[in-house]
Amino acid sequence: MGSLFRSEQMCLAQLYLQSEAAFACVSKLGELGLVSFTDLNPNVNAFQRKFVNDVRRCDEMERKLRFLERELKKDQIGVYDNGDNPPAPAPREMIELEAKFEKLENDMKEINTNQEALKKNFLELTEMKQILMKAQHFFEEMDRFDTTEDEALIDPNTPQTVAAAGKLGFVAGVILRSKLPSFERVLWRACRGNVFLRHAEIEMALEDPVTGDVVNKSVFIIFFQGDQLRNRVQKICEGFMTSLYPVPEMPPEGLHNLEMNVTSKIQDLQLVLNQTEDHRHLVLTQVALNIRVWFIKVRKIKAIYHTLNLFNVNIAEKCLIAQCWCPTNDLGKIQDALRYGTEVSGSSVASILQQVTTEEQPPTYNRTNMFTESFQGIIDAFGVSTYQEVNPAPFTIITFPFLFAVMFGDFGHGLLMLVFGLVLVIREKFYLAQKSADSEIWDMIFGGRYMILFMGFFSMYTGFLYNECFSRSFNVFGSSWNVSAMNFDAVTLGNASALDLDPVTPGVYRGYPDNYINGSGYPYPYGMDPIWQSAENKITFQNSYKMKSSIVLGFAQMLFGLTLALYNHIYFKDRLSIICEWIPQMIFIWCIVGYLCVIILFKWITWKDPASAPSLLIGLINMFMFTAPSKADGTFLYTGQSTVQIFVVLMIVFCLPWMLLAKPAVIYYRRRQKANRYAPLKSDSSTTRGLENPNFAEDVGKSQRNYNLAGGEMADDVPIIEQDQLDVESNSIQQTEPDPDEKDFSEIMILQIIHTIEFSLNCISHTASYLRLWALSLAHSELSEVLWTMVMHIGLSMAPPAGPIVTYAVFWFFAVLTVGILLVMEGLSAFLHALRLHWVEFQSKFYKGQGYAFLPFSFESIIQGRVDE
Amino acid sequence: MGLFDFAEVGFNVDNGFLEGLTRGFKNGVLCKEDYRHLTQCDSLEDLKLHLQSTTYGNFLANEPSPLTVAVIDDRLREKLVVEFQFLRNHAYKELATFLDFIKYSYMIDNIILLITGTLRQRQLSELLPKCHPLGIFDQMETVTIANSTADLYNAILVDSPLAPFFKDCISEEDLDEVNIEVIRNTLYKAYLEAFYDWCEGCGGATAEVMCEILGFEADRRSFIITINSFGTELSKEDRAKLYPRRGKLYPDGLTELARADDYESVKRVAEHYTEYRKLFDGTGVGIGEKTLEDKFFEHEVTMNVNSFMQQFQYGVFYSFVKLREQECRNVIWISECIAQRHRSKIDSYIPIF
Repeated sequence: MGSLFRSEQMCLAQLYLQSEAAFACVSKLGELGLVSFTDLNPNVNAFQRKFVNDVRRCDEMERKLRFLERELKKDQIGVYDNGDNPPAPAPREMIELEAKFEKLENDMKEINTNQEALKKNFLELTEMKQILMKAQHFFEEMDRFDTTEDEALIDPNTPQTVAAAGKLGFVAGVILRSKLPSFERVLWRACRGNVFLRHAEIEMALEDPVTGDVVNKSVFIIFFQGDQLRNRVQKICEGFMTSLYPVPEMPPEGLHNLEMNVTSKIQDLQLVLNQTEDHRHLVLTQVALNIRVWFIKVRKIKAIYHTLNLFNVNIAEKCLIAQCWCPTNDLGKIQDALRYGTEVSGSSVASILQQVTTEEQPPTYNRTNMFTESFQGIIDAFGVSTYQEVNPAPFTIITFPFLFAVMFGDFGHGLLMLVFGLVLVIREKFYLAQKSADSEIWDMIFGGRYMILFMGFFSMYTGFLYNECFSRSFNVFGSSWNVSAMNFDAVTLGNASALDLDPVTPGVYRGYPDNYINGSGYPYPYGMDPIWQSAENKITFQNSYKMKSSIVLGFAQMLFGLTLALYNHIYFKDRLSIICEWIPQMIFIWCIVGYLCVIILFKWITWKDPASAPSLLIGLINMFMFTAPSKADGTFLYTGQSTVQIFVVLMIVFCLPWMLLAKPAVIYYRRRQKANRYAPLKSDSSTTRGLENPNFAEDVGKSQRNYNLAGGEMADDVPIIEQDQLDVESNSIQQTEPDPDEKDFSEIMILQIIHTIEFSLNCISHTASYLRLWALSLAHSELSEVLWTMVMHIGLSMAPPAGPIVTYAVFWFFAVLTVGILLVMEGLSAFLHALRLHWVEFQSKFYKGQGYAFLPFSFESIIQGRVDE
Repeated sequence: MGLFDFAEVGFNVDNGFLEGLTRGFKNGVLCKEDYRHLTQCDSLEDLKLHLQSTTYGNFLANEPSPLTVAVIDDRLREKLVVEFQFLRNHAYKELATFLDFIKYSYMIDNIILLITGTLRQRQLSELLPKCHPLGIFDQMETVTIANSTADLYNAILVDSPLAPFFKDCISEEDLDEVNIEVIRNTLYKAYLEAFYDWCEGCGGATAEVMCEILGFEADRRSFIITINSFGTELSKEDRAKLYPRRGKLYPDGLTELARADDYESVKRVAEHYTEYRKLFDGTGVGIGEKTLEDKFFEHEVTMNVNSFMQQFQYGVFYSFVKLREQECRNVIWISECIAQRHRSKIDSYIPIF
């Protein structure tokens, strides 16, 4: 069997690593990604572990790298990625790296401080220039008012101000535009309206030197009289974080000259700023070339130290002891890695790997590839399989797309899905390279690309069987029905909207060889006859057909599941379960569902006369009522049916106690046997023991009660006491390993009751559950038919010239609805139901799913961020 | 709460998401186990490492070594602020008002901080970083220009949300240190009363939970004001004006408190109330004894933890903020003890869960 059939065989191993070789060895194992270390110091705090200082150093390096990365992002320099995967550097190289990062960080910080200072200077000059420009404007305006003396247009205060312009003080500055309204209000209230504020927006956006954000600002100028007001205004300005600039009082021409002056200064500064920018860019491009490799190196070192922290330190022997799970098949590879690691580190003593036997359940490890990954994924989503039990994933590869397709059967829709899947699969490398598309939904679709491909393929197949392509049929082989053989006269043909085709009439249906007149004597060779497309009773016909096939498919899958259960029992050498559970289960399911499937197939194959076709439903009900089948109520199928059915029902009834009682009875009997076997040895010491152990009598009493409750009746007390005493004995002697089988008997019994009830009820309810195959398939074909007749048909039934145009318009509508509703929504719903059929109906027959996944220590997954260390 | 009061029915429509989120945040509050680990740390780096394994995650990852307590304080506060702002930005109708009420107390603190700082001739740029980010509002920086409360009110605070609380303390007197304390307490009193009444008006579980918490807050203030007033020039009449008139002490307890002359008489007042008697019992400053302040904090924490027991009410938001604040105080206390190598008192934090 392939490796996917059962999970890998795992073993627990202990590694003895020389302390100088440990780093190199773990590094190799990290590259290999095949071992998962267990924490040997679970009670030690994170900061009390041995290599915590090294982890901290790595943290610090990572912080520096993140800082550099942020700077790169700020300058929008892309990180160079050549796909290199450098090995973890040796510990001594770490110092080198640290020094390098330290220097880079300091350089970067220095450049930033310089640049910030320059930018601040630049900002100040720009603001100054703006103020000078606006101030000229303000003053000019004021002059104009002065000459025209137009008092009505301005504040009553202004004429005085203007008149006393010589004595008026003013401050000018720049403020964030968003703060201006509240600034104005506070100014007005605090100075009781005795100031005059003019403001103008700065058209260009300015850059904040510290954060680098783009901000909008306004220039303002405040006129006031007197020193007290000046103080107040200045305080308010300070409060609002404005920047004030000294503007000399001079005529506009003077201001203009000043502005020219400032402009030339700005130009000089711009030059310097550009140079700093270039220098910064140069440093950053160098960083961009290497930063990815650095990140990988640092993360690897950090991961190694994290792992080393899990190890036990043996100071006396100068070695580290690690415990890990690993696949038995890969022990060779692991040993090679260890040897290589030891060689690299130059250690004289070899590292030792030693297998350890343990009672612990090993982790479940299923090796997957790109193709099987998504199928294993849907199994693991339900529950990771118990160690080494049968893994349903390989079967799911076929059954899942198939059940999906039964519900999604349409050739056209399947084709679209297939094409979509194909595109994903063919361009796989391209999409894989584009890691940046971090959309969860996309990841999900892309991860399931092979599943989509298969679902599309199988949908085409079932669509072909249903003979539906966007709800239309192909007539590939020629219909087997012949209307002309009915010999309708012209009047009937002209008047009737629907006509009956009677298959019994010779020549109408070529499927019956004895009715053969001018046909080949066979029914439509494959799938549905296209004539059903135009039949009025199409749905009635297909319903009965699909319903029955759903049940047959469901039975087949459940039977397969039960067969896998047998594989599990054989593998785990559980003969008791085979005889007391599996065999009665098999008989039970065959009698209840299997018999139904047999008569369905029997009726399909042998029945020819539609008029006297028997009713299987009533037949089945009558079977349980022990009513003899008769032709009168349409339940007669074959001679001897009555005897067979009575036998079947009796078998069902017989299987129930078999499933319920056999296994607990055997366990009970075995325990008694075991107790009896040891009884003579212990009998003489029982009294003394009872005295020694004060809890003893009580224990016995307790267990007795339990047995009473569970077993219903007690044979005699003596063996129980002795068995209990045995337990006490064995517990006291070997307390380390309590027998895992020694479950309380009442618990076993209750579990068995639940199990039996569950199985017998599920045989019926799960069979009914498979009817969803029919229901969803019906819904899908009806929806696509509605879409065709209500949308596409409108365009196609119109005469030219309008017809083609309308068809064109309607086609897009049709296409969008087809993709949106039929492909995406219906596809998701069919997917969901297929998932349920696998998880519940199929896997409940054999799958326990109580394992835990194997999470190997692997650099690859750490670097990709899949594992959070 | 009437028989046909269905306020809770619609609660989740408006606030369900935020309540869920807050309860999630609450689960991230450090527990006893975490504190036990934290107190074992030898250096701030250890502390950082341990905090990494809690919900604080990588909040210190981008800080260069060596760490200082101030940096930790800033980051802790930043986290609270980010969470609170998220809640506030998504809050709707009543909850928005409720969260604003929480912010007002920080605003009051900020104003007082700025005025005191200005009186002591400190620079504004020096004071601003000390302001709590939750209490920052537009006109805040300009309070330094005011010379009297009337000035303060008329020029600056009149269109801030704090204006209504100001009505009791407007005077033309110049600002000085005693004055400021009086203003702070008057403001706080008005604020608490307003908040209490608002919550009472909400009805339902909100009123039930919040009135108890705010009532306790009011009583605590009354006790503390009384105890702190001994030996100052504050007259008894003035003192009585500062008591928030809500909570269990109101009205009888407050009348008695107003007459108190020393610590013993305050204690006698507390004797009448079961829950406060417990707090006053066995307090002291000696080793192994808890201060009254700590006892109050402990009681507050218990009340805030209990507020999570009730659903469909706004109390969880208040309690979450208070618990986070207490947690910040705890972590800072522990960090200070570690940084100053003063381990003997490291256990005097107030555990939350």
